[in-house]
Amino acid sequence: MFSVILYGRNDSHGYNLHKRAAISFNALAEVMSDPDDEILFVDYNTPDDHPTFPEAIHDTLTDKAKKVMRILRVRPDQHAHLRSKTHLVALEAQSRNVALRRSNPRNRWILYTNTDMLLVPRDERESLSDILGGLADGFYQVPRFEIPEMLWEAAFDRRDPAGNLAKLRDWAVRFHLNQVVHNYMPMKYDALGDFQAALREDMFAIHGFDESMILGWHCDSNLAARLALYRGRVDTLIDKVFGYHCDHTRVAAANNKGRATRMNDQDQYIWNVASPYVPAQAESWGWPEVEIEELRLDRDTAYQRFTAGLTSTIVPATLPFTTTSLEWQLYEDLTYDLPHTLPFVCDQVVTFPRSTAILVVATRPDFLSGFAKAWKNMGFTGPVLVPEECEGLPQNLEGVEHAPFSDLLGRADLFIFEFGLSTQMPSEPVRAGRAMAPVDRKRLRVVERLFKRAAAMEAETRPPARRMPRRFIGVNVIYNKFWTIFTDHVGANINPFCSQVLAGPPRQDDSVKGKVLRFRARHAL
Amino acid sequence: MSTSDILQAIGPLARLWRRAASPGDIVQPEGAEQHYRNGLMRMRGGNIDGAIEEFDKAIARMPTLADAVVARAELLDSQGKSAIARQEYERARRLWAEMPAGAPDRRYLYRRHGNFAFEVEAYDLVRSNVRNKILPQLAHGNALLGCGRAKEALNSYERALRVKPDLPEVLALKGEALSAMGRYEEAVQAFDRVLTAFLSDAETLNARGIALMALGRMADANADWRRQLELLPPGQSAARACVAMRQANYEVAFKEFGLALAKEPANAYWQLYRMTAGRLIGASLDPIALPAERHWPFPLLALRAGQATEQDVLAQGDTPNRRAEALFQLGVLALAGNPTVARGYWAEIAERGAPMLIEYAAARNELARLGS
Repeated sequence: MFSVILYGRNDSHGYNLHKRAAISFNALAEVMSDPDDEILFVDYNTPDDHPTFPEAIHDTLTDKAKKVMRILRVRPDQHAHLRSKTHLVALEAQSRNVALRRSNPRNRWILYTNTDMLLVPRDERESLSDILGGLADGFYQVPRFEIPEMLWEAAFDRRDPAGNLAKLRDWAVRFHLNQVVHNYMPMKYDALGDFQAALREDMFAIHGFDESMILGWHCDSNLAARLALYRGRVDTLIDKVFGYHCDHTRVAAANNKGRATRMNDQDQYIWNVASPYVPAQAESWGWPEVEIEELRLDRDTAYQRFTAGLTSTIVPATLPFTTTSLEWQLYEDLTYDLPHTLPFVCDQVVTFPRSTAILVVATRPDFLSGFAKAWKNMGFTGPVLVPEECEGLPQNLEGVEHAPFSDLLGRADLFIFEFGLSTQMPSEPVRAGRAMAPVDRKRLRVVERLFKRAAAMEAETRPPARRMPRRFIGVNVIYNKFWTIFTDHVGANINPFCSQVLAGPPRQDDSVKGKVLRFRARHAL
Repeated sequence: MSTSDILQAIGPLARLWRRAASPGDIVQPEGAEQHYRNGLMRMRGGNIDGAIEEFDKAIARMPTLADAVVARAELLDSQGKSAIARQEYERARRLWAEMPAGAPDRRYLYRRHGNFAFEVEAYDLVRSNVRNKILPQLAHGNALLGCGRAKEALNSYERALRVKPDLPEVLALKGEALSAMGRYEEAVQAFDRVLTAFLSDAETLNARGIALMALGRMADANADWRRQLELLPPGQSAARACVAMRQANYEVAFKEFGLALAKEPANAYWQLYRMTAGRLIGASLDPIALPAERHWPFPLLALRAGQATEQDVLAQGDTPNRRAEALFQLGVLALAGNPTVARGYWAEIAERGAPMLIEYAAARNELARLGS
């Protein structure tokens, strides 16, 4: 019957976002009763190494919310062409159009709202699907009522949507929440963007939201203006649904700077609108040619993929614990515990697109074979690329391609550089003062050289379609001789030694030292 | 002259000081729309009972004034009479849904259901507060045009054009208003300017076709509609079907109305037109399934099913547009047996029908084929 369209990213937009959003997702799912109903959440521009926002809070969502939710992930690289034109990190019009294009075509209605809204049918026996199913064609809005921050934060239970809706019915009366704020036509109400129900067919006819609105604010008013022209009327659903908003202005959100807030031009996008259509984007709205990843919370989750990958390559520990040490006298000892390290490596990659091509430059044969197996079993379809310059590594592994480094550099979406000892045996104690064998030294020199070249030449070797810098993952680069080498070239956070892994984009150090480092790295022999 | 007469005469001027409206400003109403307007003013002034009283009067004079029905419902709802209000909201929605909408190949503003009394008032208020902007004038004009008040709509569009002269979107609407007033030459000039700016504006091609057909420039009209048909995407089957029908291109119309009917099986017009196109190309047709709803165009389907006579349909064709639709169907039925009779029916449409009707264009094309 209807597709709810929401957007956001895995950040902290406004006060206690996680609670507001969980309350809202669960409440929206609660009022759905048609098997075709869906919540489309566009996760816009969350960093590649982070999970999407709904994944990050999945444990607070009801089974029903997980079942009806489809997450459409717009990657930073897909947003990169707009980055210089806006101060915002998440774009409403683009997000909502990406979802509209990919919404269930069997649904007659599209409902635009936000991740802090609860919709309360006035007749408790009716679902929102029932209500929309009985409506004549049109464009419908409801007034938004505010819930004081104390109430929703203190009294709502995220995982009890029915209880929350019941509480709202009670509070509405006890605390006089229901105040309709009228507005000029075509807006009709204040805060109109929290409930705009339009026919899917109409939204396609008018070319979706206006994607030139990239400075924030008034997207809802522009839509109201255009749909009001198209439909002639803005109808109310106040007789059937009340909409409540979890107020969150204790802390200003990123797009709210008081009177200094930058926003889309009101005259251009509201008062001088002259047509329902946006012909300039008639063919391109919602990015029909762009492949957008779709994720679910009820199946094939990142956790399931992560465990499938690791289970295929490491066996459970047989001892209560193992030991290592970061004492300085062990600075030269590059032994590490592979079964302990692989989960942290997989953690760095599991949120990337499945089609990712990963370049692995390594010394340890068991690292490559273990990682390649985990990679495949995590569901990645992109290849593991291994430079021919790396000697002593296993050949003919499934999904692994060997070629000269210079050929692979321009194909990789992501890099792993592993700094271990090729001679380390699985049964050896870790960080017990082991010296390097000559072959270890030789192979590490190759890894170091390729690492420096890759980091220094990242921008110029980037695949043509990519706009964002690629990420470098360093394995076994904490508290040993490769720590400084790695962090000279990669902007990584400080990580605990136990995780064994550092990661980040190439450093953009424009100081003389940085330039010298890059020059030497480019010509590393 | 009585006080009442004076107030009546200056009625429209009351809008000039609407921002400071008080119950004392209200003129004595004559018709439903004036009661409705007074109701809105009282509502804005906080006089709920007075507003309900005015809306009651408006509805008594014009029971189909859905805008008054819904305004009254909102007031009742706000007063806690939600059970009664709920029925009234539903009644208003039914009334709107039952209002006829224009053909889907026409400009968006003709494809809407409603009498737009609220919009006329609301956008009038907006344009008096948000000055020198396009949308308030344009939306006001559209609402007026939707009510059949083309002259006032033209005034609104011209005020919008003073803000931004030559804006093609507004010029197109000005052309529609001129066309609705029968000023077809001027309408064509306006549409020409729009099409110079937007070569592929399908809605304006349709509008210019209508104006050209009204001027008797049949070949030019058909050329515009052919171009419109090329531009319309395959998904818009109903629009494609209607514009094909205008050209009397029944092969395409038959196919497209079939697709449109698959999407909207309850649309009696699509069923009627598909049968019409099918008959004129000699296609084999399914038995007619008469709809349960008996309102127009049911009599035309009944005629086609042999369950109504010429006299029945002409009697029920109680508006000029319905009469034209009925005459067209009578012509289609007569054509095979007696083309002269068909010519007579269609000639009446060409003489007296509204040029925006599909039947008007199709009849003129048919007459041309018959050599009239």
